[in-house]
Amino acid sequence: MSKYYGIFKMQFKGELQYRAKALSGIATQFFWGLMYIYLYTAFMSSSSVDGFTLSQMASYIWLGQSFFALRYMGMPKHASDEIVNGNVCYKFIRPINIYNQWYFEYLGEKLAATLLRFFPIIVISVLLPTNYGLSMAVSGSAFILFLISLFIGGMLCVSISMFSVYLTFVTQSPKGSAAVISTIAGLLGGSLIPIPLMPSSIQYALNFLPFRYISDLPFRIYIGNIGINDALIQIGISILWLAITILLGQLLIRKSLKKTVIQGG
Amino acid sequence: MLYNKYFKMHMKSSFEYRFNMFLISFSQVFICIAEILAVWLLFQRFETVGSWGFYESLLMLGIIYTVYSITECFARGYDEFAKLIKSGEFDRLLIRPVNIHYQIFGSRIEMSKASRIILGIVVSIIALVQIGVDWTVWKVLVLISTYLCGCLVILGLFIIGAGISIYTIENLEFVNIITNGCKELSYYPINIYNKWLARFFTFIIPLACFNYLPVSFIVGNPATIPWLCAISPLLGGLFIIPCLIFFNLSIKRYQSTGT
Repeated sequence: MSKYYGIFKMQFKGELQYRAKALSGIATQFFWGLMYIYLYTAFMSSSSVDGFTLSQMASYIWLGQSFFALRYMGMPKHASDEIVNGNVCYKFIRPINIYNQWYFEYLGEKLAATLLRFFPIIVISVLLPTNYGLSMAVSGSAFILFLISLFIGGMLCVSISMFSVYLTFVTQSPKGSAAVISTIAGLLGGSLIPIPLMPSSIQYALNFLPFRYISDLPFRIYIGNIGINDALIQIGISILWLAITILLGQLLIRKSLKKTVIQGG
Repeated sequence: MLYNKYFKMHMKSSFEYRFNMFLISFSQVFICIAEILAVWLLFQRFETVGSWGFYESLLMLGIIYTVYSITECFARGYDEFAKLIKSGEFDRLLIRPVNIHYQIFGSRIEMSKASRIILGIVVSIIALVQIGVDWTVWKVLVLISTYLCGCLVILGLFIIGAGISIYTIENLEFVNIITNGCKELSYYPINIYNKWLARFFTFIIPLACFNYLPVSFIVGNPATIPWLCAISPLLGGLFIIPCLIFFNLSIKRYQSTGT
């Protein structure tokens, strides 16, 4: 375990170096958060939609902007670079599980990027007037469950991202596969539009897919759109999804590693 | 003609990696369809936003996709200008006896965007048919000028980004924010946003001039002044002039990175 902690820590420190990049990222997130709130306020027109109020919507958007880095499903860059340029062969000689190594590298990158970014957005958005700003969590226990489910969500996001690493093995090109997976996850996970604003039949169907457990679940626990009891059950489901996606990812990567041909160089 | 040669060269190089090009084209169309789906889901739930229905938004989306992809396809050189600066390749362009803009246009042509241009046009046509516009000659002219204005404004943004990277060497994220972000939020009527934001995107960066205003004229939105909307694309197209002036002034200040 300590070696994975080492990998994690290295990525984490590396990511902390890029402060200017983080700063411009924060400004962007803030600006677009505001735009989205205007947009959905215009759509909702009445003050609440099936119990989803304007102030809950604003909080949902701000949480999404603050934890953007955690829920954004990108391509694990290290892994895909290594596959394309052939450096993956060095991984073969190390006595570590390759999947785990890539997994913790990407998780470290994600957590560092999140920790750098989330705080300023939270502080500014709390100061905004009601219906435009971020409100407090509905209760202490909701807040604790929010933190737990958010962490599981981040891990789930990484484990689903790992499928694009597998697709890179298959297609030899990281460009298409990551975009497709991140779009599917964006649409079905509520980062393109918040899930509570979708038609109710679709909301129901999305419960059976893993994507909404990444960020939609924690955010809705925080704003009180999902009660404590439901939250506990759904956190259980998200842990199940985490286990399934990791196992499947391990299997697929192991399978494709067996077939890997390194072309000298 | 020289541009023909550039064009053929890029065509050949992208067809060398046919599978890759196919994959990128496919994923781009896929992303667009997902975005359209998201807009559709919102309208499915709420039906209208202001006086705007789904097909009016779809028309704006079609216009934005088309003009953005056309510009990305042919003017990608400006978008990736920082790379030219960083690698020192820009010095080579400067010593050639051909106009610098001509060479930048020739430096990148991205065939993989073609799929999105087609998608944008198809989406625009579907939306126009569904809205059921009663066509006049003026409306056709306004529609055409809308597409032209859109290309010019996006090109202008790319050129500003390129101009800035002469000073900063790095590609600044904020240009991407404006171009990409506007893409995402300009499917909806601009008057639903804050007054100052709406003014910013009408008078400073004239995004509204190639979506909300001309589309209002075409669908007959009663909330706007028709003749002003009709000429808005012509005014918006002027945006390119200050952008070019800025770029040409920046080039005079250019110091090579020495690599």
